[in-house]
Order: sequence, then structure tokens, then C-alpha cells
Amino acid sequence: MPSEKMLTVKDAILEALFEEMARDDRVCIIGEDVGVAGGVFGQTKGLFEKFGEARVVDTPISEPAIFGMTVGAAMAGLRPVVEVMFGDFITLVMDQLVNQAAKIHYMSAGGYTVPLVLRTAVGVGGNLGPQHSQSFHAWVAHVPGLKVVMPQSPADAKGLMKAAIRDNNPVVFIEDRTTYNVKGPIPDGDVIVPLGKANVVREGRDVTIVAVSRMVQIATKAADILAGEGIAVEIVDPRCIVPLDRETILASVRKTSRALVLDAGHLDYGITGEIAAIISEQAFDYLDAPVARLAAPNVLIPCNTALEPLIVPNEQQIAQKIREMLNA
Amino acid sequence: MPEIVSREARLSLLERMLLMRRFEEAVIHAAAKHKYIGRNHLYIGHEGTGAAVMAQLKPGDLAHTTHRNHGHIVGRGADPGRALAEIMGREGGLCGGRGGTWHMTDTSVGFQSTSAMVGGSIGLATGGGFACKQLGQGNVSVALFGDGVLDEGISYEAFNFASQYSLPILFMCENNEKPGRRETSMLAADRLLDIPKALKIHTMTVDGGDVEAVHAAVGEALARIRKDQVPVFIESQIEAWPGSHQHKPEFTTGETDISMAWDTGKITGPHADWIRQEPILRYVRKLLAEKAAAQADIEALDKKVQAKMAKARDFAEASPFPQAEGAILGAFA
Ligand SMILES: Cc1ncc(C[n+]2csc(CCOP(=O)(O)OP(=O)(O)O)c2C)c(N)n1
Ligand SMILES: [Mg+2]
Repeated sequence: MPSEKMLTVKDAILEALFEEMARDDRVCIIGEDVGVAGGVFGQTKGLFEKFGEARVVDTPISEPAIFGMTVGAAMAGLRPVVEVMFGDFITLVMDQLVNQAAKIHYMSAGGYTVPLVLRTAVGVGGNLGPQHSQSFHAWVAHVPGLKVVMPQSPADAKGLMKAAIRDNNPVVFIEDRTTYNVKGPIPDGDVIVPLGKANVVREGRDVTIVAVSRMVQIATKAADILAGEGIAVEIVDPRCIVPLDRETILASVRKTSRALVLDAGHLDYGITGEIAAIISEQAFDYLDAPVARLAAPNVLIPCNTALEPLIVPNEQQIAQKIREMLNA
Repeated sequence: MPEIVSREARLSLLERMLLMRRFEEAVIHAAAKHKYIGRNHLYIGHEGTGAAVMAQLKPGDLAHTTHRNHGHIVGRGADPGRALAEIMGREGGLCGGRGGTWHMTDTSVGFQSTSAMVGGSIGLATGGGFACKQLGQGNVSVALFGDGVLDEGISYEAFNFASQYSLPILFMCENNEKPGRRETSMLAADRLLDIPKALKIHTMTVDGGDVEAVHAAVGEALARIRKDQVPVFIESQIEAWPGSHQHKPEFTTGETDISMAWDTGKITGPHADWIRQEPILRYVRKLLAEKAAAQADIEALDKKVQAKMAKARDFAEASPFPQAEGAILGAFA
């Protein structure tokens, strides 16, 4: 559509932040280098100049206290977006996230809510090594009381960030740095993408791929390869892993009778196991093949340009897996 | 120093302390009667600090405290019946029985948080101060915490942030540790005040057994915090109650007998030294000596508090346990 503008994922999220901060002055941005520097990846560029230091807050390198204070500020009436610079550093805020933020609504019997967004960037691919490439989405998804969003397209990223800011729960918003420069159309206006609603990114009759974040883009390349071989792949992007839109996933599998679940995180005890179990339990009678999974092997992510590409499943491996599923 | 002078204000402060004490005694009775399990960290011996703080908070001010929280929440004005019901796990509790002794909150009085994690609330309190400043209503955030919190890294980070950003926060440390004893904290610094001081936070020390001294210090601190929008750190030095670290709530020093204030011959036993200087009896002695109250006034006040607690106990006892179906609801807003 010609009226739609094109933005990258990074700029789409930034646009959501600009719009939400202008709409609601309780929204503030807190984190290391989010203010004057505009973010280490330029992901908060211009916010400080527009909204000032009271609402775009540069912090010391004190993740536990910064996140803890964000929880307290959210309980007291603000709607903060707090940035944890690298997804790996979530380990530093784990106590306040798991033992405070996630539990306050339940423990207070609904007396308090914690409307905050923990925004963080993950992604294998920059040769950043084992302490700057991990994604702990499965860890946080395991904790009741946290919502977990993993966008892949610019339009989704913008609409989901708006929904996350307006949500009354702690939302962990996980951005994959390798998607930051992906460009796509952005619809005009105040468009919200609701949390917990999957998107069928591509329709097909032969096999369902369930994937979030960058894996949707890699799956799309695999689907293009297979289309040339006459295989029609359907791709379901849950967009949020909590809450998970089970219905859309199950409806797709009931149609195609085959499911492959992908993740850029580790295979063992990760989200692919959870989603595969849901499909096996609730669509078993429809399956023509066991549910298959591809994810990162259980090794740490090497700081080595030759080894790093072996971590995240690629389009060739995905295509091959699907060929095997169809021939089984 | 803003001292309390009116007789009413002094008696009201004593009433608040008595409510905290009689509340904890109700907890001990309930624990014996119901044989319930789980840790309870009683506030006995700390009343002088909590009462002085809670008496001076305004509507809209935010309180964030610790595991030793029962006195704080009833001192802040939460309904004692609902607080006791919460500790007993009842539906009628402040949090529907879901928070229990360790996680009591009450939105109606700005009682934001208590935490079973040592250091769990100090970050939240810093955020409360950030929000108070941002919302511009002139409110302050208060953190009450033990000396053990200074062992946790988050306290340093919270002080640093609060200082850097001039946040309106009262950091009230209830220090029940003795130098070198290492029972609840292990600081390499000579004095715990040296830590906030190094971060340019104004600090004060006060005798936590002297409620009027704490009241004066807190009054001065709050005035400064509200006017200058800065954090202040107070160390209240407390003589730990001998039952402070028991596993099951018990009357380690007996049920409080207010007449011991004037009939000191009644004070006997292995904990006589603690009882002699505990904050409630000490305050009663002061009020009597300064002729702010007569023995009969004190007894009447205590009766009034005991009658209030009797009602609270009846309410809590009558409140049912929550329905099982409800237990799985409410993780999300
Ligand atoms: C993070 C954490 N570590 C350890 C404990 C176990 N614990 C419970 S109370 C306590 C002592 C706390 O001392 P202080 O903060 O001084 O409070 P006090 O009990 O003396 O009032 C400890 C270590 C805990 N609850 N949380
Ligand atoms: Mg202590």
C-alpha cells in the first residue's frame, strides 16, 4: 500500500515509544545509556531531547536496583519502560523480576499492579560471545505473572510495544538485534497488536512451522526454498510466548497434520518442548508425523565467527527437516 | 527539632506502640491455638521506630518494608483484624490470605510492599521515591529495613541512585545488630552510616528505644525530604528482642504487663534486662515522670487497645480459609 511508510524494526519500536510517551506522561524510559547517548544501538535516539531527563533516565550500572525501582515506580502509578542492555543481563534483575514484579499482583490479591515493560535485546550473530548473545525467554516464560513478547516484523514490533506499555502486567519485551534493520510497512495511526494473538504469516497446506522472532524470517526463507519443490509451508508466529495463542497453533496443525517448532534459544528444556507438548496433547489425532523441533544445541554461544553460525538453525536445515517429515 | 509536645500526640504515639505490641501477642496466641507453621518475625522491641515513622506519614506517602513487618502495617493504619487474618491465611485478610505474614500490603494506606527477600523492598522504595517526584504531589517514599539489607548489593545501588537523582526517600534502618556480633549483618565498614554517607546522603543516628527521639529525628528528616527533595538515612539503634529469631512465635519475654512500668519489682527472669529498657515500658515511665499521664490513663489506653485487638482476633478467627479454586487465579492483572 502506497500510504504505508517503511520502517526498520528498531525505528518502529522507537516510534511506538515516541507515541506512547506523548500520549501518556506516566510513561518513562529508564536504563543505561538510554538518554544522552540515545541507546547503544540507537534504539532510544531522540527521546531524551524530546521528553527530557525526568522521563528519559540514564542510570548507573546497577541493574538490580534499577529494575527494582522500576517495579516500585510502576506500583506507585508510573508506566515505565526499563531497558536491560543485553538479554544476558536479565540474570542480574532476576530476583526483582521473579520474586517481586511477577508476584505482586497475586500476593496483594489484585491490590497492586505492576505495569512495566522490561525491554531487552538478544541475538546470536554479532560474534558477541557467550555472555552477550543468549536469550532467556524460556526462563521468564516459566514464571507465572510475566508476559513475554518476541516480535519479528516492524509493524508487529510497534503495535506490540504499544500493547505492552498499556498492559497492566510486567511484560518482558525481547527484541532480536538481528531483526533490527529488517524493513517493513507500518500502518498509519494508533495501531495496537494485542498480546497473546498469533499471526499466520504464511499460509500452506503441507506443514506448519511455529516460530517467533528471527526464526520467522529464517523459516520464511526455508518456505521459499520448499515452494520451489511443490511443498506449501504454513508459518504461525505466536508473537507472544506468554500468553500463548494455542488455538491458532492448533487450528493450523489440524489443517496441515504436521508441525515443526523452531527456536533460536536452546533446545533442551526450551520453548520448543512446551509448544510440541501442547500440539501432541491437543492435536494428536490429527498428526501424520511426530512433532519435530529445531533449536540451538545445548552449548554456549562461541565468541568465534566460524563456530557462531552453527548455533541458530538455518533455512537449509529447516528445509531438510521438513523433507524428512514429509517422506516419513 | 520538631518535638511532640501535646499530651494527645504523646498518648496517640503510645497507643500506636501498644497496638503493635498487642497485635504481635495476638499472633503468638493464634500460633499456639492453631499450631500454624511458617516463620513469623515479630516486631516486638522495634515499636519505637515504626510508630515514630508511621505517625508522621501523610496520605499518599508510600511505605515499603521488610520481613519484620507486622508492626509497620498496623502502625500505618491497616485494619488489625484484616492484618491478623492475612497472617492466618484467611479469606478476609488484607490480601485475601495470599500474602501471609511476609507479603502484606494495603493499597488503602499506601503500604506498597513487604518482602521475605532481604533487600527485596529497597529497590521498590527507590522507585516509589522516583514516582513521588515525577507525580509532583509532594509525597515521599519510605523504606524500613534491617541492618542485613546493607549486606545486599542492591542497597548500595539504591542509595547511589537516590542520591544522584535527589529522590524524596526516607531510608530508615532498624539496626538490631551489635558491633562485632554478626547475627543479622556482617559489614566491613566501621559504622553502617559510613556507606550512605559516602554517597552524599544526609545521615542521622537515633536511639530506637526512645520513641520521642526517633519521632524528632524522623520529623526533621521528613521535613528535609519534602522541602529539598533529597533522601535521608536514619539508623535507629534497637536492642533486639530475645525472641527476634525464633522459628515459632512464642512469648520469650512474657505477655506485656504495662504495670511493670511503675511496679518494677515485677520484672524478673533471664530477660529482665531487656524488659527494663524495652521501648513501651520506657515511654510509659517517661510520660508518668513528666506527668503527661497518670497510671489510670495508661491502663485505660492499654484496655482500649486490647479491646480493639479482641475484635480483630474475633474477625480473623471467623474468617474462612480461601476457596481452592481461587488459588490458581490472579497471577495476571
Ligand atoms: C535474600 C535473602 N537472603 C537470606 C534470607 C534469610 N534471612 C531471613 S531474615 C535474615 C536476617 C535479616 O537481618 P536484618 O535485615 O537485619 O533484619 P532483622 O531480622 O534483624 O530485623 C536472613 C538472612 C532471606 N530471607 N533473603
Ligand atoms: Mg538486623
